[in-house]
Amino acid sequence: MVKFPILLDIYQRGEGPLKRVERISLPEAGDYAIGRLDENQIVLDTPEVSKRHALLVVREDGMAVSDRGSTNRTYIGDSEVDTSPWDGGLPIRIAQFEIHLVPQTISGAETRVNTPNENATRAVSGGATTATPAPAPAPRGQSIEVALNAANAPSEMRFPRNVFKSEIVSAAEIKSSEYFAGEYTYLTVGGGLGSFVWADHLRIFGVGTGDIRAIGDDVIPYANYQRLCRNSQIPPHERLRSNSQSTPDNIWGFPGYASRETWKDLKEFRFGSLKYIFQVFGEASLAQTFTPRSGEVFKSIDKEAQRIGWRDMLTYGRVVGIRKTNDERYAVAFRVPEDQARGGVRERIMIGKFLHIATGYPATRFTGDLQAFKARYPEEARVFNAYENHEVVYRTIESSQAPASIVVRGRGIVASRIIQRLYEAREKNKGITVIHQMRNPIGPKEGYRYKGAQRYVYNHIENQAFNWPKACWGGQLLRETERATPEERVKIYEALGGTTTADRRDWRNIIQLGIGDGWYKPVFGHFETLELVKTDQGPKIQMKLKAQGNQPAVEVVADYVVDCTGLIGDITHSPLLRDLAETYKLPRNLGVGGGKIGGIFVTPDFEIAALRNGSGRAYAAGQITLGGPQPGVDTFLGMQYSALRSVDHLAVLGAPNVSLFGPLRSFSQWIKWCTNATP
Amino acid sequence: MVPTLKGRWATRILLFLWIGVPVTFLFSLIVAGPRSPTLPLLGWHYDILPFQILSLLLIVGLILDPVYFYIQQFRWEKDWPFAFQFFVTIIEFVIVLGLVWWGVLDFSRPRSQLHGTENYLLYTIHFACVFIPSFIALLGLIQIFMIRWRFKSGEWGRM
Repeated sequence: MVKFPILLDIYQRGEGPLKRVERISLPEAGDYAIGRLDENQIVLDTPEVSKRHALLVVREDGMAVSDRGSTNRTYIGDSEVDTSPWDGGLPIRIAQFEIHLVPQTISGAETRVNTPNENATRAVSGGATTATPAPAPAPRGQSIEVALNAANAPSEMRFPRNVFKSEIVSAAEIKSSEYFAGEYTYLTVGGGLGSFVWADHLRIFGVGTGDIRAIGDDVIPYANYQRLCRNSQIPPHERLRSNSQSTPDNIWGFPGYASRETWKDLKEFRFGSLKYIFQVFGEASLAQTFTPRSGEVFKSIDKEAQRIGWRDMLTYGRVVGIRKTNDERYAVAFRVPEDQARGGVRERIMIGKFLHIATGYPATRFTGDLQAFKARYPEEARVFNAYENHEVVYRTIESSQAPASIVVRGRGIVASRIIQRLYEAREKNKGITVIHQMRNPIGPKEGYRYKGAQRYVYNHIENQAFNWPKACWGGQLLRETERATPEERVKIYEALGGTTTADRRDWRNIIQLGIGDGWYKPVFGHFETLELVKTDQGPKIQMKLKAQGNQPAVEVVADYVVDCTGLIGDITHSPLLRDLAETYKLPRNLGVGGGKIGGIFVTPDFEIAALRNGSGRAYAAGQITLGGPQPGVDTFLGMQYSALRSVDHLAVLGAPNVSLFGPLRSFSQWIKWCTNATP
Repeated sequence: MVPTLKGRWATRILLFLWIGVPVTFLFSLIVAGPRSPTLPLLGWHYDILPFQILSLLLIVGLILDPVYFYIQQFRWEKDWPFAFQFFVTIIEFVIVLGLVWWGVLDFSRPRSQLHGTENYLLYTIHFACVFIPSFIALLGLIQIFMIRWRFKSGEWGRM
């Protein structure tokens, strides 16, 4: 039951912590529109917020939030939502705003209730205002009847449901509708690296730019990847965990990044980088594994994008729905930004014969305890996922000499990099200490074992050059996983998997140094509670660390927590994939560990067999296929592999202009790559 | 270098055909004496000995490949650095030299034409001429022509 009035705090994220800009009181049940225009009941006035962005539906028995086709979407916590019930546990996030439900017990005191007929309340700091529900908040026939008790209340009339009424939609109907945006032979959804690598293969195999369309919400194919790199402290000059021949800009993998880096230096008579050649020659036993600089990878992709005409093939938009058509093709519904609206219509539908889906990770992971802390202390920018922007941590601790302790959670590659970053920050502030939180200790001889081989463990962290053994990308392990039944596959993945970091000498040395100098301390267990406490040195986070077994909980006090446990791979966090999986009952891969569900089930050719539509074919790539025939799907080389498999599959099917790509064509295309000529 | 056993054999045969045979053919023209056999249509003199050496190299390699594969099983990555391949190929050649010294080719011609420093030096030059381009091919040239090779653990053909 909802208690009126409902109090909402609106926070805005600036450079630093969240700032509360307004408290709003909702006196009665009704529909409250959220958006940029004054006609909304809750006005969030920045360009990133759409004119009519979302709708908050308040009833006596609950609340729900619904996105109204906004450009930048609406989130509850980190999950993107179309329409979802809202219990106030996690904030509603819209652009840089967060809307928090104020717990009823602390309401009242500072709230100023305005007269009920004051309609729009502009977000200004101070005080609280009352919003009255809109009498009829439904522009352009998008009446939203939210069934509050249903988990995914469908709103029948809303795009794309007004067109996608059944599992199979009429192509003729779409083509005569105002939404129609063209038909193409090859359509790829996502517009990121997965789409780019697929389109690159198609182009090189013989398809022209006019037959390919990529739909995505970034103009640069690596924009999302770059964002994650930057946030997790990998600037352009730092090296990625990727190999020399994993080249998203070159389908052959030759020349690799090592020889390119060496060649570039040799041309300027610098011989130092000959060591990269020796690295590739001796890795991983005689030399450390070569890894490319992130900046070099991005530059190489820019060049290839230019060469294959990526901009000509890209349609900027956010895909919201996919359906089979009645003429053996696929319809892809998407929204374009407001400035591209055609007579106010931002909804589009494109039709394609061969579909490719590569939408990537749906969300960043936030472990429950940290999520709870964030919800409880929204103004305290103290708890971060390493993949979100947390520059404020480094800026703050580097700009003073005050002691600062940072909890780094997890033992993956990101944790290693963050520890390295904190080690660098110690150059400016010797008071920085690192508390490295891991689930459990791992002894030097307790690394994972698989068929006569074992992983190295240093400082309780397992080491491995890449996120799977190298033979998982083209070697006997790939053979094994491709041939295995789903049940056997899970066993192999469980034996090979688990978090590891790269085998980097500098990282091992940093931890050894830290232990020696006393600024690095590993702790084992999980946090039972996180509280904000006032101390003489200002507010700090107090945590109760509970180790495995019967030991009593230990108290840990820190200034910041950086969670390095990764991204969420569960495809149901993506409304698009959830809808697709539910509509066509797409089989899923078995999940690794504890009965979780994996990605979309694909054949070894990366076809989503359940989406086959007569002669139409649908493929998937990247993280959304996790747990399938190939282990390393979310890697550069994994994407090259899946692209090659699916494009080869198309060639055998006789798809238009896709050649069989034998040795001669391969060689002549490679020459074109070398001379930067159009394929 | 993450081949399966089948991939090792397939790649070895591929390099034998692509690089070994043509290079050896040129070499056999150069080292041939006036009493060597001639090519039927072209009438050029050639020497069969480099082909015998090349075949020995292939046989020794094919026999040792399972050993390499077995050693790989104890490595977590199930791979094998290029450098290892480099050194074991040299060892393979040393084994071939040992076999010649032991007399496996003695059936084919007088001992004086097979043994001695001068002949062994010639074998070494021949080996270098085959080995260096083969190794470069392994480092990346193969995949320019056979794009699927690196994903197929060194085996040929489509996926």
